[in-house]
Amino acid sequence: MSGMGSAEGIPGFQIEGKGEDGMDRGILTLSVGPQHPGSGHFRLVVKVDGDIIVEALPDPGYVHRGEEKMCEYRNYIQNIPHLERPMIADSCGILYPYVLAVEEIANIPVPERAKYIRVMMAEINRCIFELYWLGIYGIFLGHSTMFMWPMADRELLIDLAEMASGARVTHAYFVPGGVRNDIPDAFPEKARRHLLYFRNRLKEYRDIFYDNPLFQARTVGVGVLSREDAINLGATGPVLRASGVDHDIRKVEPYDVYDELDFDVVTMKEGDSFARAYVPWLEMYESVEIALQALEKMPSGPVRTKLGPNPKGAVGEAFKRVEAARGELAYYLVSDGNPRPYRVKLSVPSFREIPVMAHLLRGAKLADMPSIYWSMNYWPVEADR
Amino acid sequence: MSQQGQAGADSGQLILEKEIVDKVTARFGDKAKLAYVKPRRVRFNVSKDSIMEFARFARDELGFDHPISVSGVDYPKNRIIDVVYHVGSCTNDRYRSFVLAFAVQLDRDDPVMPTLIPVYRGVEYHERETFEMFGVIFEGHPRLERLLLPEDWADIPPLRKDFHIKGREE
Amino acid sequence: MATVSEFTFSNFIKSVLWLLFWVLMIVSLIALPILFIVLFYVPPPVINGVEINPYLLLTMLTNPQVGAPLIRPTLDSLFFRIAVFPGFTFAALFATVLIFAERKFLAKMQLRVGPYHAGREAFWWANSLGGFLQLIADLLKLLGKEIIVPSGADKPIFWAAPVVLVIAAAGLIALIPVAPGWVIADIDVSLLAVFALLGFFPLTVLLASYASNSKYPFIGGLRALYQLISYEIPLILAVLPIVILASTLSLTGIVEAQYAYWFILLVPIGAFVFFITALAELERIPFDLPEAESEIVAGWLTEYSGMTYGLIQLANYIKMYALSALFTTLFLGGWMGPEFLPGVEVFGVEVLSSSETSGIFWFTIKTFGVALFMILVRGTNPRVKIDVLLRAGWSKLIALSFINVFIAVALLYLGVVGVGP
Repeated sequence: MSGMGSAEGIPGFQIEGKGEDGMDRGILTLSVGPQHPGSGHFRLVVKVDGDIIVEALPDPGYVHRGEEKMCEYRNYIQNIPHLERPMIADSCGILYPYVLAVEEIANIPVPERAKYIRVMMAEINRCIFELYWLGIYGIFLGHSTMFMWPMADRELLIDLAEMASGARVTHAYFVPGGVRNDIPDAFPEKARRHLLYFRNRLKEYRDIFYDNPLFQARTVGVGVLSREDAINLGATGPVLRASGVDHDIRKVEPYDVYDELDFDVVTMKEGDSFARAYVPWLEMYESVEIALQALEKMPSGPVRTKLGPNPKGAVGEAFKRVEAARGELAYYLVSDGNPRPYRVKLSVPSFREIPVMAHLLRGAKLADMPSIYWSMNYWPVEADR
Repeated sequence: MSQQGQAGADSGQLILEKEIVDKVTARFGDKAKLAYVKPRRVRFNVSKDSIMEFARFARDELGFDHPISVSGVDYPKNRIIDVVYHVGSCTNDRYRSFVLAFAVQLDRDDPVMPTLIPVYRGVEYHERETFEMFGVIFEGHPRLERLLLPEDWADIPPLRKDFHIKGREE
Repeated sequence: MATVSEFTFSNFIKSVLWLLFWVLMIVSLIALPILFIVLFYVPPPVINGVEINPYLLLTMLTNPQVGAPLIRPTLDSLFFRIAVFPGFTFAALFATVLIFAERKFLAKMQLRVGPYHAGREAFWWANSLGGFLQLIADLLKLLGKEIIVPSGADKPIFWAAPVVLVIAAAGLIALIPVAPGWVIADIDVSLLAVFALLGFFPLTVLLASYASNSKYPFIGGLRALYQLISYEIPLILAVLPIVILASTLSLTGIVEAQYAYWFILLVPIGAFVFFITALAELERIPFDLPEAESEIVAGWLTEYSGMTYGLIQLANYIKMYALSALFTTLFLGGWMGPEFLPGVEVFGVEVLSSSETSGIFWFTIKTFGVALFMILVRGTNPRVKIDVLLRAGWSKLIALSFINVFIAVALLYLGVVGVGP
C-alpha cells in the first residue's frame, strides 16, 4: 500500500489539533506561487481546512529590484527610466508623482500645455492598465474571451501612447518641467477616434462579463471589505472606492489640471469582489471623458521648461501623491542639496493591498481565492519594487 | 470642504495647517516638535515614548485614519534613523487633502520603537519592510521577519547609507 | 563513437548501400520467414463464404471487380465496426476535427486567428484550412515529452488511469447508432449501459488523483468526484422521460421512435438539463473546476505529462463526441432526416444504401452542431464555484428533471404520444 496510504502521506498535509466535532483537523498547506499559474511573481502560503482558508500569508519579494537604493546612485533625470520598470503597464502613473516631487524640490515651473498632455497621457495609461488587469481577471475566473478582448482593444490605446511618446509601454514621457516632446499634429484626431471606439467597446465587456450570471455568482458577496476595514488597512484606489469611500486624489488634492476638468468619482457601497471589478470599468468611462476634455481644452505653447544639465534640489523633502490606475501612489523624496536624491520612497498601491488581501482571504473559500486576489488590483512587480 | 483647505493653501495663509499645529502643540507640547508646515503637508518629530499616543490622537481626534506609507531615512552623520509615518484622511472632510507626517528619530545603533499596528493595521507590511531595509525593530509586531529580500540575505540592512551597491562605492 | 566525418558523395553512397543491405537482410532473414509461418498456421478469414487468401488479394489488385461483392460483408464485420466505423477510428477522427474546430471557432469568438501557420505553406490545397497540421505538431510534441512519474506515486494505478479513461470513453461509442443498423453493440438496454460506463469516470479520476500523491491533484480529484456524482443523478433523471415516451431502453429504438418529431420538442426541459449535466460530466467550462488552473494548477491532471496527458485529453474529447452523439440520439432524432444523398455503388454492387449515407450525414452534422454549442458555452462563460455547482445540481437541476418527468407522463396519459396508458 505504498503511496496509497492515508492523507498524512501527502507532503504538506498535517494534522493540527481537533475540530469542534472531536475529529482530527487536517490542515493542508498549499504554496500558491511563485510557480503557480494563478499567482504571478508572488507567493501565497495558504492553509486550508477542507475548502475554507484558515490563513493566507502573503510572501512578496520574488521580483525585488532595489529601486529605492538605485535612486540614491543616480541623479534626478537618470532616475526616470528605471522608476517606470516596476509598473510597465501603467508607466505614466508610477512616474507622475516622482516628476511632481522633483518639480517641487527643484522648484521647476511647468508650462500649461504640458500639464494637459500629462493628464491626458495619465488617463490613457490608466485605461491601458485597467484593460490589462481586466483581461487577467477574466482568464483567472476561466473566462477566456474576456482575456482576449481587452488585450486586443488595449492595442489601440498603446498605439496612441506610442504616437505621442515613441514607446509602446515604457514611455519615459514625463520629465521634470513638462513632457519630453510635444504630441504630433495628427494626434488629437486619432486619439478622439480611438477613445470613442474604445468607449463603445466597454458596453460589450459588460454584456459578456459583468452581466454574466456565472460571473456574478463568483463575485457578488465574495470577500466583502467593510468601509472601516478598508480605511484602517490602508486600502486605496478602486478597492477603497468599492467599499464606499469617495477618496480619489484627483478630486481631494488635484494636481496639474484635474481641478479644471469635469469628472465624477465612482464609488460603490458593496465592497465585494464584484464592486472591486466594476469600479474600474466605470472609471474607464471617466478616464475617456477626462482625456477627451484635456484634448479639447489643451492650449498651444511650449511643453517643456529648459533645465540645466544636472538640476539640483533644495535641502528638504517632498511628499507627492497621485491617483494611479491602482490607487494612490506616493513618493517621499528627501534631498540634501545634491544632484542626487538622498532618499526616495515609493509607496505603491499594490504594496498597500497586501494586508487587505490577507485580511479578506482569511475565512474565504479556496475557490474564492482568484476572485479576491485579482480583484485587489495587485501587481507583484510593483509591490516588490 | 476639501476645496476650503486648498483655497487656504493657495492664498499662502495655511489656515488649516496652522489649526493642526495648534491642536497638536496644545496636546503634546514638547513631545511633538514641529518640523515644517507646507501647503497641505505638516510634519512633526515625535518622541519615541509618545508615538503611540500621538498616532491615536491623529487618528481619533484629527481624523487622519488612512495610513499611506512608512519610510525610514538613514542619517549616519547625526547617528539617527528617521522613521516617518505618512497618514491621510478619508473621513474628515476638512483634512481630506492633507498628509500628516510624524517621525520618530531613533538611535542608529539601537533602533527600537513600538509598532503602530494597533492604531493603523495597514502599516504591518510597511513596518516589516522598514525592519529589513533599516534594521528598525518594531516591538509588538506579530511577524517581524524578512519580506522582500532573499531568504539568505547576509549583510547589513541595504537601505542604510553604509551599504553600497557593488562597484558603486564612492 | 560519434565522430563528425566530412560529407562526401562517396560516404553518402556508402551509407545508402549499407542501409539497403540491412533492410534486405532483415526482410529476407526475419520478416519473410515469420510471414510464411503465419500463413501456414493461421487459417485465412472467410467473408461471405469466400476464403480471403493471398492469391485472392493479389487478384484484387489487378481486377478490383472481384473484390466488390466482398466490401459490404467486410463493412458488416464486427472487426471493422469496432476498429474503423463507427468505432474507434471514426471517434478519434471526430475528436481530432473537434479539437481543431474548437480552436478555430473559439479564436473567431475572441477576435483572434487561431492555428494558422502549421501546414499552410507545405500543402497548396491546405491554404483554406489554415493551420490544421497544428494538431499533428501538438501530438508530436506530446509524444516527445518525457513522462514524469512523481516519486511516491502509486505507479500501476497512475499508469492505468489514462488507459482506463480512454477505454471507458471508447466503450460509450459502441452503444450509439449512427445510421440504421450501424451500431457496434445493438443491445436492448444500451441506455443503461451508457450510464454504467459513465460511472467509470469518477472512480478513475479519483484513483488517478490519489495515485499522484500530490496536493493539487488530491483537491482536484475530490472536486471531480463531487461534481461527477452529483451530476449523474440529474443526467439519468433527464433521460427518464425519453424512456417513458419511447417505451424502450435501446438507443436504436429511441431513434426510431422519433421518426415523426424530435423529443426535444416534447421535453425541452429534459434537453436543457441533459446539456448542462453533459457539460459537467465533461469537465468543460463553466464546470471545469477539477482543472481550475488559477486555483489548483491543473487539478487532477497536474502530475500527468507527455502522452499520459495526451491520452487523458483524447479520452475527454472522445467523451465529448460520445455525449454530443448521445444528445443527438436522445433529443435530436439521431440519424433521422431527409434521405437526399445517393447510395454508394462499387462496380454495380451496392455498398451503402441511400438511407445509410443520409443517416450518417445527418447524424454527423447534428453531433457536430451540439459539440459546437458546447464550445460556444466555453467562449462566453467563466468558471463556477463548487458550492454554486453542487447547489445547482442538487436543487435546481433535479427539480427541473422531475418537472420534466411529470410533463412526459402527462403527455403519455393525455394520449398525445407513446403507447398510451
